[in-house]
Amino acid sequence: MTGLTVDLNIIIGGPQGGGVESAGQIALKVFTLKGYNIIGTREYHSNIMGAHSYFHIRVSDNTPRALRLPVESLVAVDAESLLTHVNDVAKGGIVVYDVGSVDQNALTLAPMEHSLKKRIEKMFSERGARPTVSEAIKLLEERGVRTLGLPLKELLRKTSEETGALLASIARAVNIMGLSAALHVLGVEFPYIVKAVEAQFGKRPKILAPNIAAARIAVEYAREKYGSGNTLPDGPHKGRVRMIATGNEIVAMAKIVGGLTFESFYPITPSSDEAHYIEENKYLDVGGDFKEAGLDKLSIVTLQTEDEIAAIGMALGAALAGARASTTTSGPGFSLMNEFISMAVEAEIPIVISLWMRAGPSTGIATRTGQQDLLHAIFSGHGDTPKIVIASGDHVEAFYDTIKAMNWAEKFQTPVIHLLDKYLASTSVSLDEWDLDPSLVEIDRGKRVYGPVKDYKRYEITEDGISPMAPLGFNTMIINSLEHDEYGFVSEDPIDREAMVLKRVRKFETISKSIPETEKAVLHGDPEARVTIVSFGSTKQAILSAVEELGREGVKVNFLQIRVLSPFPKDLVSKVLGRAEKVVSVEANATGQLAFLVRAHTGHSVNHVIQKLNARPLYDVDVVYGVKRIIESGVERVVVSSGS
Amino acid sequence: MARRWLDYKTGAWVQWCPGCGDFGILNAIYGALAELDIDPARLVVVGGIGCSSRSVYYIKGSNVHTVHGRAIPVASGIKLANPELTVIVTGGDGDLLGIGGNHFTALGRRNIDIAIFIYDNAVYGLTKGQAGPTLPLWVKTKALTHPNIQGNVNPLLLAFAAGYTFIARGYAYHVNQLRGLVKAAILHKGSAVVDILQPCPTYNDFMTQEWYEKRIYYLSDEDPSWDPVIRSPEDVKVKAPRILEKMLETGDRIPLGVFLQDLTKETMEERLDKVMPGYLKTPPAKRPIDVKGRIPLHPFRIFKDKLLET
Repeated sequence: MTGLTVDLNIIIGGPQGGGVESAGQIALKVFTLKGYNIIGTREYHSNIMGAHSYFHIRVSDNTPRALRLPVESLVAVDAESLLTHVNDVAKGGIVVYDVGSVDQNALTLAPMEHSLKKRIEKMFSERGARPTVSEAIKLLEERGVRTLGLPLKELLRKTSEETGALLASIARAVNIMGLSAALHVLGVEFPYIVKAVEAQFGKRPKILAPNIAAARIAVEYAREKYGSGNTLPDGPHKGRVRMIATGNEIVAMAKIVGGLTFESFYPITPSSDEAHYIEENKYLDVGGDFKEAGLDKLSIVTLQTEDEIAAIGMALGAALAGARASTTTSGPGFSLMNEFISMAVEAEIPIVISLWMRAGPSTGIATRTGQQDLLHAIFSGHGDTPKIVIASGDHVEAFYDTIKAMNWAEKFQTPVIHLLDKYLASTSVSLDEWDLDPSLVEIDRGKRVYGPVKDYKRYEITEDGISPMAPLGFNTMIINSLEHDEYGFVSEDPIDREAMVLKRVRKFETISKSIPETEKAVLHGDPEARVTIVSFGSTKQAILSAVEELGREGVKVNFLQIRVLSPFPKDLVSKVLGRAEKVVSVEANATGQLAFLVRAHTGHSVNHVIQKLNARPLYDVDVVYGVKRIIESGVERVVVSSGS
Repeated sequence: MARRWLDYKTGAWVQWCPGCGDFGILNAIYGALAELDIDPARLVVVGGIGCSSRSVYYIKGSNVHTVHGRAIPVASGIKLANPELTVIVTGGDGDLLGIGGNHFTALGRRNIDIAIFIYDNAVYGLTKGQAGPTLPLWVKTKALTHPNIQGNVNPLLLAFAAGYTFIARGYAYHVNQLRGLVKAAILHKGSAVVDILQPCPTYNDFMTQEWYEKRIYYLSDEDPSWDPVIRSPEDVKVKAPRILEKMLETGDRIPLGVFLQDLTKETMEERLDKVMPGYLKTPPAKRPIDVKGRIPLHPFRIFKDKLLET
């Protein structure tokens, strides 16, 4: 915290399924209620219960762009959280822990990863100490971190006695206790905690009362032990209705308001929550204009299929019948979708595929982030299959991009792959009504014909490569995955074949021309800067934050964000990179996929790359560090490694 | 004036080998469509890949030629998006039960109102006669270099286990009887499958016309009281043992006809209309998504569970 600017960073850790998720959500609500902007992400193992997970939150009166390390507050009510994040806390920060855990030793924590145990053991043995919680507390205190031990067992018993709730049924409240104590130290008034807990558990009154009691008891204990410091002033965003939503939810919302009527999917992390949110809202009351059009309910068919092949296949069938259709998946599922993507290109079927990237190859790390599917998305499908690939940099972009993707799919009768990732999927942000404004976009379904057409040619050769599309059921016709003539009838004739290939080529040129270069790529910052960062997707906000930070240190850097990766904005990218002395790509993949693409399209070599390979989100400190290293040493590749 | 079978015939050259069982099946489908007087523009024939899947070119309809094994998901999406259309799937045993087996079983669970016609010749014709999933163990056709070392799937039992509500078996050269089965399958409300035995005179020199005709017989001919219709949950208990016994009958005698018609299960379309009343009236293909290009919705007025008054 400096001056009037609030910039608070918090980690709340705990075993998966043990209430960490709720505590994280409550923290987001507390600070939103206080009038601040928030961003919070959930990091978790591919596990149902017991493995370490944590919520990482940033609170600011400005727009917090990216997560920041180190944090000012660590809520670690179990030994694993404390030992895992012992190096993540800033000097002057506060750590809340359970006094009952002080004797616990990293080496005896069953869920902790073996390698982490070894690292912690080594770190403490270098200090001549055992890897225990009490030694970690000692270390933190030496570093100038304040610590607050809560006797959680005792406080839980007290909560049980006061509320009559069974001890076993309120065990999860330890997270609320730890969080509430930390919030007290940070200067948050108790009524805000109550309001946030109510907002979280409002629908479950049986849980509500014990949790509020637990919070109060923890705050009372903290006050007694620690006293009360300065009250955190209210932020500038108080007094209005705000939204807190994850990237998964934002994309689901955009699909719903953007006219989706059919989504088929197969469960896969981190895409499932998008489909679930659509499913939750598949039958909505509508008023206003839709009501005047004779519609009182907005229904969306959402169907879980037998695999990802069927997920995209059904969506394609629905699209052919006239529905606005999409599917959602991640890398492994996207691999299965390849043959149908190829069919969607050949048969010219509109389809949006939301591709939530996660760490691969193969099953990789299912619950962690990455940007390794860029080239897979662009080159998916066999046999010359150009398609649109768009990548969103943040939640607001994801909202508009989703609607845009559905429009493009129908207008150009093509697959559109919307690149997102696990980081966006499970990151929540606070939003205002004007951030998500559907009146800024229109619904465009392209050249559609309803009703019988004389001598209908589904694949009529046109100058722009786009043929009038009639949904099935109005005309006899053939939609074809095989090469065909204008009617869709199978044809191996060399003239037909060439004409159809060239029609599809022209269509892709039309797409490229119809989307302005400035919509395909955005240059952020000083156009005259000597160093240009190129990147795509969810790295955006960390890079913007780093560019500011570097600017304050006198290092002039600008940032070229590539929004549409296919068709590639080669003129704009060429122009910008032609001016730069140093070009640095920032990407979370090992093979430099964006650098490859830039070189392939523009001939400009990207000489430097900052890579994030540990499957954790990109932090602004990563980018600051990487750029400085590159400027100082001229090194080609910097691997940045922050995150727990 | 009612339509005639010729009204469903396209001008396309039918490129099957002389004597192919597919001709009989195609004629039976033409006849059934004519008897049902279905508007070709409202008919959707969905094919996978293979000789039989090319039926999409020979039957007048608003048709889709998909990729190998994937006709069922595409057909399902079409039907759920617009339940007013008549949707049928034509494919081979390799397409529907081999590469597409996962989709075949999933359709039974859903009971979407689609009719599946398996052109079952036990071989992969277009790729030169490899063993299909219905070719019996140890059979060596002339196209195989060695006897088949994989066993065969029983399409009827598979359909039964998956939950299909109409299960029948026909024979390609008995066009009249087959026409009746095709018609009943299309009329049936729910997922219907007709396994159609057919010789492949080019590649399957084992299961020939002569081989089949020595073995096949009709259930209702043998037993005039044969009644495969399930009208109540109790009916299943009473009739299932006999139905399964007949489905299991293979080898020297191969029964034909309707093995099961279950009237007790609701279709997926009915389930959706139950969950979302009005679905059948404005299904996904017909629901307005905009008002003159504008979006008359705002997330802050819809997704109230995500809002917080500060």
